[in-house]
Amino acid sequence: MITVNNIGKAYGGELVVDIEALDIQPGETVGLVGNNGAGKTTFFRLLLDLIRADRGEILSGGRNVAGSEEWKRYTAAYLDEGFLIGYLTPEEYFYFVGKLNNRSRADVDEFLQTFAPFFDGAVLKSGKYIRDLSKGNQFKVGIAACLLQDTQVLILDEPFANLDPTTQMRLIGMLRDIQTQRRMVVLISSHDLNHITGVCSRILLMEKGKLIKDLRTNSETLHELEAYFKV
Amino acid sequence: MFATLLSHQWKSFWRSATAGKGLVVQIFMGFLALYLLGVALGLGFMLRTLLSKSFPGKDPTAVLTGFLLYYYLFDMLMRFLLQELPTLSIQPYLILPVGRPTLIRFLNIRSLFQFFNLLPLLLFVPFALTATRAAYGPAASGSLVASLVGLTLFNHFLILYIKRKMIVNGWWMAGFLLVLAVLGLSDYFGLFSLSVLSSRLFMGILAHPWSWVLTALMAGWAFYNNYVFLYKNLFLEDIGIKSRRRQGADYAFLDRFGTIGEMISLDVKLILRNKRPRSLVMLSVAFLMYGFIFYKPESLAHGEWGLMLMGGFIITGIFISNYGQFLFAWQSSHFDGMMSANLQVRTYIKSKFLLLTAVSSILFLLSSFYGLLNWKLLLVQLAAYLYNIGVNTVIVAYFGTRNYKAIDIGRGATFNYQGLGAAQWIYSLVVLVIPLVIYLPFSLLIGKWAGILAIGIAGGISLLLQDFWTGLITREFLKRKYLLLQGFREK
Repeated sequence: MITVNNIGKAYGGELVVDIEALDIQPGETVGLVGNNGAGKTTFFRLLLDLIRADRGEILSGGRNVAGSEEWKRYTAAYLDEGFLIGYLTPEEYFYFVGKLNNRSRADVDEFLQTFAPFFDGAVLKSGKYIRDLSKGNQFKVGIAACLLQDTQVLILDEPFANLDPTTQMRLIGMLRDIQTQRRMVVLISSHDLNHITGVCSRILLMEKGKLIKDLRTNSETLHELEAYFKV
Repeated sequence: MFATLLSHQWKSFWRSATAGKGLVVQIFMGFLALYLLGVALGLGFMLRTLLSKSFPGKDPTAVLTGFLLYYYLFDMLMRFLLQELPTLSIQPYLILPVGRPTLIRFLNIRSLFQFFNLLPLLLFVPFALTATRAAYGPAASGSLVASLVGLTLFNHFLILYIKRKMIVNGWWMAGFLLVLAVLGLSDYFGLFSLSVLSSRLFMGILAHPWSWVLTALMAGWAFYNNYVFLYKNLFLEDIGIKSRRRQGADYAFLDRFGTIGEMISLDVKLILRNKRPRSLVMLSVAFLMYGFIFYKPESLAHGEWGLMLMGGFIITGIFISNYGQFLFAWQSSHFDGMMSANLQVRTYIKSKFLLLTAVSSILFLLSSFYGLLNWKLLLVQLAAYLYNIGVNTVIVAYFGTRNYKAIDIGRGATFNYQGLGAAQWIYSLVVLVIPLVIYLPFSLLIGKWAGILAIGIAGGISLLLQDFWTGLITREFLKRKYLLLQGFREK
């Protein structure tokens, strides 16, 4: 589904992403871990064609994401608030995303019903524009808007970082559910080793732009990661 | 402490993302301000001569005192419209051992350094020191100067206070404007004379030199009000955030146009719900009145249709120019999202063209009332309108793909040069030159109406080619997509 060929991106002469080869199959939930500056967000931006690669290419469904727009049809992503439209109410934003993905209002309403526990009463009918929501609630809107799209690729940058513990657990449950229901590529990054080993079938460890470990998750993975991050 | 705060302000000004890049713009603005102040000072020194020439045989001081109250009322209105509230991002200081009173005093005093406070002093102090001193003596002259300062400070702090109140409660704005309107209208209809009142007040100040203390007290009162208000409201929650319930909106008729309709309704919401684009649109509507400047009876009588064509361009095209120069930058805060959403770039560009065309069409329809002055004006405006939606939209979109500067849509538009760069200046030039190139040959060789017809036909042909233009702009957009994304991410 996603193939990385020798991708490289440099800022100020320093390579921040430098991945020779990577292949991700449908049905894989891939977790990206690494300290700040490892290049996780930059890699996601390359995947979404939001920055120009200095060398190499990323293929999505067999086509280079740079220069093609086909991937937009089956890819949903939430990296930061730059993906939200601050002057819309959450409902308007969901309808907007729904419309772009050919989902009717009734469809969206039905979907939102199932999300009521996730929002915990603070997002829907809140009488606020998204820009006035708290950071955590903005995150919930972003994640929900991704799940609303019927996609084959889902990209979330540090989804657990801004969520309260209950919502973190809910999100983990939902990620597991969608993986059993539809076979798609899920890419998430996180600093929470517990969560990420709990939800991902494969872990990629990045350091200074390079992929230094590619692990199939098993009972040893958490220990291995903890050993790496130990000071 | 004051010095530290001042140095932080200085740094925040020079190190802000927009300051460095817009240096040329700022130098230009600096020269403009210097020039205006110079003119004001020159006027101040010439005021005595001017007044005695215009009102021969009258005491210039007496004439001037008749005007002063008008000046200060007008000053109030201008300040109300243009003066910005001084802001210090206060949050980092609140938890530090800096006294609240110090912060508030700093906010208030820093706000004093501005154009509006210098202007009356430059205009009237030279006069008070020469003409008034000669006729009424040094005590009266000093008293006048002191009251001028007092009234300026009073206006300054009163407007700050009203503007701060307004944030909390919108009725303050209505009340303030109502009072000014009542004063202005009753003077206009002769219910009472502001001029006489003004004369009495200021002649009184001249006669009783110590009465300037009153204006000082007024200024002190306004300052104190501000102080108390800020002291009570120096919590982040109280300032700025309205707790109004936001209702979603749904433009059902746009639903029929699918994705493009959705994108247009997104733009409409952007305009209505954010300060800067909203004031731009209000400006566009206000520009409808420009017709009264361009379509003068003399011009109509002499058949100066070329000049009036210019008026037509501005009236029907002002929105295209104003909104279009930041066509993509308006969405800079969520541009990442736009570019990874399930939205083809071509559709995105097309929706922008349609938005510009639609609003321009509304302005064209609204401006048709000028047809009452002379029906030929309708033809002039039609030609200008066709040109605007046919050609100008393409030019503006092209330059829009070259504008990489992010815009904070929540900030006001007056004196806001954020996001302006060389591209905008070049754009203004291009927009002026191209219609001239089309109009002049026909107008000189055949006649004015041939020129106007040429403009209309050029617009019409270009409009038929809009599919081609959409493709062209899409390619241009894709060429610079990464630059746009990167620029908009840097706030």
